[in-house]
Amino acid sequence: MANIYKPELMEVTAVRQQTSDVKSVALRFLDPECAAAFSFQVGQFGIFSVFGYGESTFNICSSSNWKDRIEFCFRKVGRVTEAMWKVEVGDVIGFRGPYGHGYPMDVWKGHDLIFLGGGIAMPPIRCAVWYALENRADFGDIFIVYGARTVGDLVYVDELQEWAKHERVRVITCVDPGGETADWKGEIGFVPTVFERAHLSAKDPVVLVIGPPIMIKNTLPVLQKLAISPASVYTSLENRMKCGVGKCGRCNVGSHYVCKEGPVLTMQELQRLPLDY
Amino acid sequence: MSELITERKLRQLAADWISAGKRVVGPARIRDRILYTALRSSESLVLGGDGYLRPANSIKEFFFPKQEQLYQYRVRGRNIELLEPSADFAEQLIIAARPCDAAALPVLDHVFNWDFADEFYNRRRRATTILTIACGAADDACFCTSVGIGPEDPRGSDAVLLELGDGRYKVRPVTEKGGKLLAGKTEPSQETAPETRGPERKFDSAKIRAFLENHFEHAIWAEHGRSCMACGVCAFSCPTCHCFDIVDAGPAAGSARVRTWDTCQFPIFTQHASGHNPRGAQPARQRQRILHKFSIYPEKFGKILCTGCGNCVRNCPVGLGVLNLLTEIEHGQHL
Repeated sequence: MANIYKPELMEVTAVRQQTSDVKSVALRFLDPECAAAFSFQVGQFGIFSVFGYGESTFNICSSSNWKDRIEFCFRKVGRVTEAMWKVEVGDVIGFRGPYGHGYPMDVWKGHDLIFLGGGIAMPPIRCAVWYALENRADFGDIFIVYGARTVGDLVYVDELQEWAKHERVRVITCVDPGGETADWKGEIGFVPTVFERAHLSAKDPVVLVIGPPIMIKNTLPVLQKLAISPASVYTSLENRMKCGVGKCGRCNVGSHYVCKEGPVLTMQELQRLPLDY
Repeated sequence: MSELITERKLRQLAADWISAGKRVVGPARIRDRILYTALRSSESLVLGGDGYLRPANSIKEFFFPKQEQLYQYRVRGRNIELLEPSADFAEQLIIAARPCDAAALPVLDHVFNWDFADEFYNRRRRATTILTIACGAADDACFCTSVGIGPEDPRGSDAVLLELGDGRYKVRPVTEKGGKLLAGKTEPSQETAPETRGPERKFDSAKIRAFLENHFEHAIWAEHGRSCMACGVCAFSCPTCHCFDIVDAGPAAGSARVRTWDTCQFPIFTQHASGHNPRGAQPARQRQRILHKFSIYPEKFGKILCTGCGNCVRNCPVGLGVLNLLTEIEHGQHL
């Protein structure tokens, strides 16, 4: 029977501890046919599962150009992610997807790109950053402002340093006041503030802003001051999901089903939706 | 010339299916309630009497069970095997359904099939024959006529039976499947069934939708949400509510991933891992249920996600249910 809920089996090929409670995991399909047939767009998500514990929804945070693996990143907060935390290289987990719409990278072509991320929202930005770097000629200057509560909460720190070495890429990292360490060399402040005072010289940019609702809320006035149109500002909603395929009834924002019609949408689209996210 | 079927033949039909080992679902008395249930005997089938109106549950669980395996798995160290679910898709007969139950199915077909076809639902749908009995009466909670359905509505049914009195029913076949089921069991009849009577129209669904689309923020949500106890009985007894959860059941060493009913009325339904909850209080959750039925679903699929059965009104322990709220809106108390 065709079963839309049945996952593919994937072997864990790498696990990295990013912070005290965040890990990233790389996977490869056990079924070679499935591996050959699989493709996705950066910005899409998957439903990952540990058998015996359950399923959780995460962005596929690897670049869609990487054909040998997919990656995801999670914070240990509940039953499934506690079990996920114990997963080791060689273990097998479940994957369904890809689901939803990714970032319209074709539309972004020719523009400068500004990425604004907070905390655990780095993974869904990371896939787009790698994609842009791998297709460098298609995009203008790249600016990344990434913040977390404390230095210890920053994820993908090594990759942030690597990106900063690329030409026409500027990376600014920040931590909330009080979250700095003695040797912290980045900025201190919240993402919207740090972004505003950086006076980035982007021309007609596309902005991707992902983070906690309060960060997004406080970023919007800054974007407005910079006269960036809400149609050029993208975000990715992170509503709770179970099915991923438009049936279980919990991810909707008004009539917008995040799993099928999102998770990526522009601020212009978001402003038309009720405050239900 | 049309056909009629007697109560005796109807019960015989149920008895034949049951003795053939096939599932027959119909209203039966369970403790102090009349509920749609898989019948053990055709004698327990309730066809009317004692002011009986309709069961307190719906027929949806025979298409979309309270819980069902999506697949099984066997874990042996790093070796994981996915196995077929122990799901039941055998032929089944639903007898003496109400039009407001059967009419929910063509509505639910949309959500279970947009882009991704849910074969658990579809296979049961194909394997089921539904004999509906038209309503001869309505109570204060009934409101099918306000959502475009009526007491002898054929939608979702394979045949509709209209009471002639004295244990006889006029047969109105709807589908080929229904006609085949009743072939040879009916007799010719010249009688006309007495006119069925639905509830009076209690609100205008177009007016309700217009209100909902423009009043996401409104005092009415807090007023109603405050008294809701978040028990979920409205959703669980609703023919069209279809929200679900997916959980793992049983020991990790070998069990199943299971779908269970869920409801937007439960506080953790939408709660993010971060603790943030888009619908953090009961008024927002009440609003979601009403919006989903009368605004969101119509926008997405062109159909109201409600058949006016009134179960949410009759079963609510604190006197809510969609009807009270919608009639308040209808009468402009909140405009």
